[in-house]
Amino acid sequence: MSSKVAVQSVSKTFESDRQRVTALTEVSFSITQGEFVCIVGPSGCGKTTLFRIIAGLEAPTTGAVSIDGNQIDGPGTDRGMVFQNYGLFPWRTVRANVRFGLEQQELSDNARQTRVQDMLSLVGLEEFADAYPKELSGGMKQRVGIARALAVRPEILLADEPFGSVDAQTRDNLHEELLDIWTETQKTILFVTHDIEEAVTLSDRVIVMSANPGRIQEIVSVDISRPRSRSDVAFGEHVERIRRMIGE
Amino acid sequence: MSVEPATESETSTQSREAEGVTRPLREIELRQFLESLAGALTFISLWQLAAVAVGRTYLLPSPVEVITAFVTELSATTTFTIPLTSVSLPATRLTANLAQSLFHYIPGLIVGSILGISLGIAMGWDRRLDTALTPVTRFLRPIPPLAWIVFAIVWIGIGHGGAAFIVGIGAFWINFYNAYAGVEGVSTHLQEVAASLGIKSDIGMVKKVIIPAASPSIMTGIRTSIGQCWMIVVAAELFGAPGVGFQIINAAQNLATDVSVAYMMVISLVFLVSDGIFRRVEKRILAWRA
Repeated sequence: MSSKVAVQSVSKTFESDRQRVTALTEVSFSITQGEFVCIVGPSGCGKTTLFRIIAGLEAPTTGAVSIDGNQIDGPGTDRGMVFQNYGLFPWRTVRANVRFGLEQQELSDNARQTRVQDMLSLVGLEEFADAYPKELSGGMKQRVGIARALAVRPEILLADEPFGSVDAQTRDNLHEELLDIWTETQKTILFVTHDIEEAVTLSDRVIVMSANPGRIQEIVSVDISRPRSRSDVAFGEHVERIRRMIGE
Repeated sequence: MSVEPATESETSTQSREAEGVTRPLREIELRQFLESLAGALTFISLWQLAAVAVGRTYLLPSPVEVITAFVTELSATTTFTIPLTSVSLPATRLTANLAQSLFHYIPGLIVGSILGISLGIAMGWDRRLDTALTPVTRFLRPIPPLAWIVFAIVWIGIGHGGAAFIVGIGAFWINFYNAYAGVEGVSTHLQEVAASLGIKSDIGMVKKVIIPAASPSIMTGIRTSIGQCWMIVVAAELFGAPGVGFQIINAAQNLATDVSVAYMMVISLVFLVSDGIFRRVEKRILAWRA
């Protein structure tokens, strides 16, 4: 199996006048096509830095990240991004937010419209197409964020604590929806979270990171058939195992 | 996949709140209106009493005299010759003077605003341009627009062109700083999002993200300059450009203070109307704002 995403010995050091902070040391892993991988770890473990490096928003101090064998330098539409605070353009309606990336591509108006419509129905927001972000709940905003990221047909979906700002009930719904979308689109997904249960609910593999300096502690395969239930014994065992690693 | 917003605990509460407060809101509004009316009537009464006590129109015209002068100016017929043409239109003294003022107010406001907004966006966006030009803008900024009358006189001459020049300088600075601050305040996060969605060029980023995100601040600049430029119009006309401001001075020199005050009222009314119209436009354009 060739790797979709390859992270090779990535290190990141932030330097200021006074001090050097090592955020990541020698992080290496790869993700195969269609895999759902979560990164978990305590705050300060560098997971957000790692996310930003893979997203191309930050350059690694050493090492490299490649997508389909091509080394990345900067953000690109091969990686769709979803953020904790949604990052919606408040002056654009739901429809226009989803259309944003498509406007940068050579497409006919018709093709754009169809794609936007497909994405809105994928996340179940057709009825809210003309609403502004301010009129939406957190869960709905994040559905727009996901639809917008997927509209440009990225190779992989990168998400940084995307459900960190929604309530538990909404989060459960969004988990189900995201898994449906994953099944439907067969995208490769890399999902950063600090919530171990969320990671075990969603992913094929969990990359467990630890802090000071940020590094990979272990990569745990979650071999539990979906849909997964939190009351499941195996589920609890996985969560417990990861929790002990992190030392919570 | 279906969405039932009702099951989400954080559905927008705006509509519910709006319904709940409609009735008390109306009562509050009515009371506020009555209070405002009382304030205005008190002011006019005191003014009238004071004018009667003073007893000389040229020292303090009464509200009644001002209204009378206003009506006279509004009905006295004359003609208005469109500047740069020989076309004459029937007008009244008041509308002719107002038209004269608008002939330098509007071009000055539009050109000054466009230049100010453009430079503000450019400097807010491009760090090198910002560093290079900041000493110049800092140095020129404190100079009051009217001081530039020097160049209006030697370059253009006093008249519509010179007055428009002064108005334009006033509009320029107000819009420059608002646009600049608006662009500086655009979150880098939204720019990162845009980059991840395929925005590669500076022009694309400015057009698709920077300008819309800065638009509330830009609109505030335009609205402020609409008001401020009326102050500048009057000042510029002190030097002899025709218009409402000139009439204020002209009438005062003839001791027709009631006419002066009538033209002061014209400025106030025109400002209120233009500000009201612009607020509506602004509200529509910025409907997305929370």
